[in-house]
Amino acid sequence: MIPLFGNFALWLSLFFVVLQIIYSRKEKNNLVLQINRVAVIGLLACSLLTFASLTVSHLNSDFTLVNVYQNSHSTKPLLYKIAGVWGNHEGSMLLWILVLTIFNYFIFRSYNKNNFKFISNTLESQGIIIIGFLIFTIFTSNPFKLMKSIPVDGLGFNPILQDPALAIHPPLLYVGYVGFSAVFSFGIAALKIKDINTFPWHYYMKPFVVAAWTFLTIGIALGSIWAYYELGWGGWWFWDPVENASLMPWLLGTALLHSLIIVEKRNSLKTWVLLLAILTFLLSVIGTFLVRSGILTSVHTFALDPSRGLYILIFTAILGTYSLILFAIQSKKYLDNNYYAFLSKEGAILANNILMVIVCSTVFLGTVYPLLVETFTNNKISVGEPYYNSTVIPIAIPAILIMGIGPLLSWQKEEKIKILKKIFPNIIITIVATIVIFLNYKTYNIVGIIGIVLAFWIITSNTILILKKVKKNSLSMIVSHFGFGLLILGITGSSIWQEEKILNMNINNQVTIKSHNITFKKIEEIKGPNYVAIRASFLVEDKNRNIITKLEPENRFYPITQIITTEASIHTNLLRDLYIVLGDGNLKDGWVIRIYHNPLVIWIWIGAFIIFLGGIISINKNLKKLNIS
Amino acid sequence: MIKKQILLIPFVVFIIILLSFFYLLIIERNPSELPSNLLNKTTPKFETNKIYDDSTFISSKEFGNEIVLVNFFATWCKPCKKEHKYIKLFSEKDKIRVIGINYKDKKNKTIQWLADLGNPYSDVLIDNTGEIGIDWGVYGIPETYVVNEKGIIKYKQIGQITKKSYKKIISIIEKINNEK
Repeated sequence: MIPLFGNFALWLSLFFVVLQIIYSRKEKNNLVLQINRVAVIGLLACSLLTFASLTVSHLNSDFTLVNVYQNSHSTKPLLYKIAGVWGNHEGSMLLWILVLTIFNYFIFRSYNKNNFKFISNTLESQGIIIIGFLIFTIFTSNPFKLMKSIPVDGLGFNPILQDPALAIHPPLLYVGYVGFSAVFSFGIAALKIKDINTFPWHYYMKPFVVAAWTFLTIGIALGSIWAYYELGWGGWWFWDPVENASLMPWLLGTALLHSLIIVEKRNSLKTWVLLLAILTFLLSVIGTFLVRSGILTSVHTFALDPSRGLYILIFTAILGTYSLILFAIQSKKYLDNNYYAFLSKEGAILANNILMVIVCSTVFLGTVYPLLVETFTNNKISVGEPYYNSTVIPIAIPAILIMGIGPLLSWQKEEKIKILKKIFPNIIITIVATIVIFLNYKTYNIVGIIGIVLAFWIITSNTILILKKVKKNSLSMIVSHFGFGLLILGITGSSIWQEEKILNMNINNQVTIKSHNITFKKIEEIKGPNYVAIRASFLVEDKNRNIITKLEPENRFYPITQIITTEASIHTNLLRDLYIVLGDGNLKDGWVIRIYHNPLVIWIWIGAFIIFLGGIISINKNLKKLNIS
Repeated sequence: MIKKQILLIPFVVFIIILLSFFYLLIIERNPSELPSNLLNKTTPKFETNKIYDDSTFISSKEFGNEIVLVNFFATWCKPCKKEHKYIKLFSEKDKIRVIGINYKDKKNKTIQWLADLGNPYSDVLIDNTGEIGIDWGVYGIPETYVVNEKGIIKYKQIGQITKKSYKKIISIIEKINNEK
């Protein structure tokens, strides 16, 4: 009954979105506005109902549905029954549509007396995007498809995805990806309307950019946390195509966010902002294509149906061709010939913008290069970590440096002596902090030194801004930048000073890593809610034999899905993580044990969370601005 | 005028990329398959110490005289222990020179390990940092390479050698011998 209802609501949303598209093309009058309201709210209600129906079916373990049968099992814990709704291709498309319609509703909410034409145009583009995803879901990935016969129990949910961080990672990431659809639609409207040169469309764009970017940031961070805790590879970023697919919109989104400030303050750079708005969303959709089509292999590839890939590709082609040609023809009206002094706030933002776009292009090249090579030469190659490390880091370093100076500069032009005076305290604190860190870690490495110096540079300059209570700098900017400084600290520490030991251990063997004594105490079999596991027990002591903690890595076997997972056991403090993974072995020959000493990892997550906080502050502020204007 | 044409660039790039995606989507392919780049190429050059006498092994002098197997192994790697009997068969029964590259391991442990299991290797080379492994394109160990008498890599075995892959490697060696 419930699935039938959900399916009906899914089809009904198709009706509402068509209504929205038709009525957002009409001239302004009260009836049009009322019908538009019905369409937008109807659409939102339908997608909520659709999503709720699938959730209820998953909660009830309703195995009459193919989707529930393939991805769930009655013994699955409640949290993962809910997360299982979007942990599969069909359900995640419903989530995607739900978020699209929520943003659609917020676009509708910004209607006022003066912006009818602009908002209507935006709603039209947004409607077209929604219809694209609706048709895709209904015809190629309908989650309400019924089973031919009703099975007793489901096939289970991939246990590697059963992790709290991963349960909330997709929704947050989707708010990010999909939020850029609204930005895209605003951009299309700004290009399409002829006499719009003086209309402040960037005011409408900004809260959506900030919201999308903020949620994308925390979404990526959670994905990274999942990889760190669940995959058991000792690292938190692997340059997997899917990670890149989320990083690229983030990089362009960062550029877009900052360019919008220039539009706001100097009324310039509009062409550039529009291009970024289009490309950011196109990259989100291309990312979806790469993940869902299966043309690349990745841990995330779950849908290997070529017809789905073909559909998304055609949809991407239509969106991209239309928007980029529109851009080529229409953006001329926004071209300006402003020049900026390099030593000014806008100069710094622009320089950083260019660097962000270069980083993004580099990552994009690395991701699609193997595909392009295969197309044009028939050779197969793979691009991995060494490429990204040697290309991204050198471009990121000047970007971070500029990030430390930019906020201290004034708009327009700044004298060099004044700058030096402003940054003098930062220089002193940075030097002191860096020396302290290096006295502690005693490892010297040029990239490490640069990273630590930059991190403290950002942290101190923003701390000073907070202490001085400078009004002209926004709180959200300071908070986010401060978080970013911590993030860099964590990234540098964990990648430069990571220590790894792989060894074969028997019971009562001992090993030392970075002044920690680790003793292999025992190994035992345990039984979890839907798995059986072998659990090893390690005693961790400091060099004076004081007990620090007990670490218990596990190897779990999930009988339903026949999958073995490794559960790393991690002890975290502010200075380092101790990370132990249990490998193969037996009582006679011992076990393969991997031990990692990862310095400062916790600061990556703290940093990301503080950036997120800064974003939330900014969303709030920008929404308020929108109500006033 | 030039400015206006620049505005078209994003579109052109976009179309080229999409067309290549389209092509890859419709042809039959397995995205996870990745043949070794080194197949039919000469062995990567390297110098390293031998584990027993600390003398230097210079790869350019050692490859290119006879058929050689190169086997990446480590004492912490369980499959390495399981495939050891086949490595022994290669060197003792088939009289093929096998060079062992000891990947990210401890010297003492390796010597003990080889003393326990027997040492089928003509030379045991040290790769503490894994750099030689990177040059050879090692995914994970064990991995075994067949190098012909001209120093060219003819075959790569990823993972443990089993009865089946042992036969496969022998047949490849026979083929190389026949082509001489």
